[in-house]
Amino acid sequence: MSAEVVVFDILSVIAVLAAIGVVLARNPVHSAASLVVTFVNLAAIYVMLRADFLAVVQVIVYTGAILVLVLFVIMLVHQEDLPEFHGGRPVQRAAGFILGLILLGEVAAAVLTRSASVPSGPWTPAAVQSAGGNVQALGQVLYSGYVLPIQATALVLLVATVGALVLARPDLPRLRSARRETSTISLGHPRGTDVEPQPTALPAVSASQVKPETGERELVMAKSGDEFVDHPVWGERREP
Amino acid sequence: MTHLTADHFLLLSAALFIVGMVGVLTRRNVLVIFMCVELMLNAVNVSFIGFAWEQNSMVGQTFALFVVAVAAAEAVVGLGIIMALSRRVDTVDIDQVRELRE
Repeated sequence: MSAEVVVFDILSVIAVLAAIGVVLARNPVHSAASLVVTFVNLAAIYVMLRADFLAVVQVIVYTGAILVLVLFVIMLVHQEDLPEFHGGRPVQRAAGFILGLILLGEVAAAVLTRSASVPSGPWTPAAVQSAGGNVQALGQVLYSGYVLPIQATALVLLVATVGALVLARPDLPRLRSARRETSTISLGHPRGTDVEPQPTALPAVSASQVKPETGERELVMAKSGDEFVDHPVWGERREP
Repeated sequence: MTHLTADHFLLLSAALFIVGMVGVLTRRNVLVIFMCVELMLNAVNVSFIGFAWEQNSMVGQTFALFVVAVAAAEAVVGLGIIMALSRRVDTVDIDQVRELRE
């Protein structure tokens, strides 16, 4: 076994164990910490694969940006003690694990039996070296053949930013007050008891009672609280 | 397997992807499901870069870069949805979010 294989084995075993930790941890914060371990190990594996730029991008974008965002949201949303995983839903859990094992076996068989003869591309290590390094080579490929996808990616990021702003915006106060309705509190409702049914038509609001609009809604001056509601409070009779 | 081949990377990618998939299937916390989706995207990136390494090509790395960009956009929108969801129903339990079904 060459040293490369030993290093790769160590890195990949740590990455997979941390990934299992993401799934098994009860606390989402522990999941996020395990995810950091996985991502950093994957960045090291990218370095082994001569993808230096992507290793840097992995650390900056994933562990730097996305996981910080995830931690912020974990602390913002209300976490209750979920009856997760360690109790309840045994059928779903067993089905998930069995499906996973079957799929792993299938993919492993497919990988181990594939034909190894592949055509070699133009970017041999010598060619990458003569272009000036991994970043330069990636830039040459990216900005010669993939100009339109880069601009589409820029559009995707812009739309995602606007969408996140729309989703995370709190409700406007105007919408909230429009949803509120007139309600009355009555301890004993007269309908259905020995009291005769009350007239359902509400008295009209005279113009002298309405004050001009001060805030968002009009103000109506009333002598008592149930002057404009369907049914008066218990014990009072409205004269017809 | 005494030398490093693309098979190593493909097996690692498969293992990470399946761990993420099992997490999506079995967990109930929306945030953990989200993290498992990120894990699956990273597994695909490992495959891309492993193939690019094997074939001396740059196309795999280019695709992996686009996957990272789309994952960033997905993270932003997904976390926005989680925020709106927790403000609306005050839970992160995926089993209690069934407004569209009822």
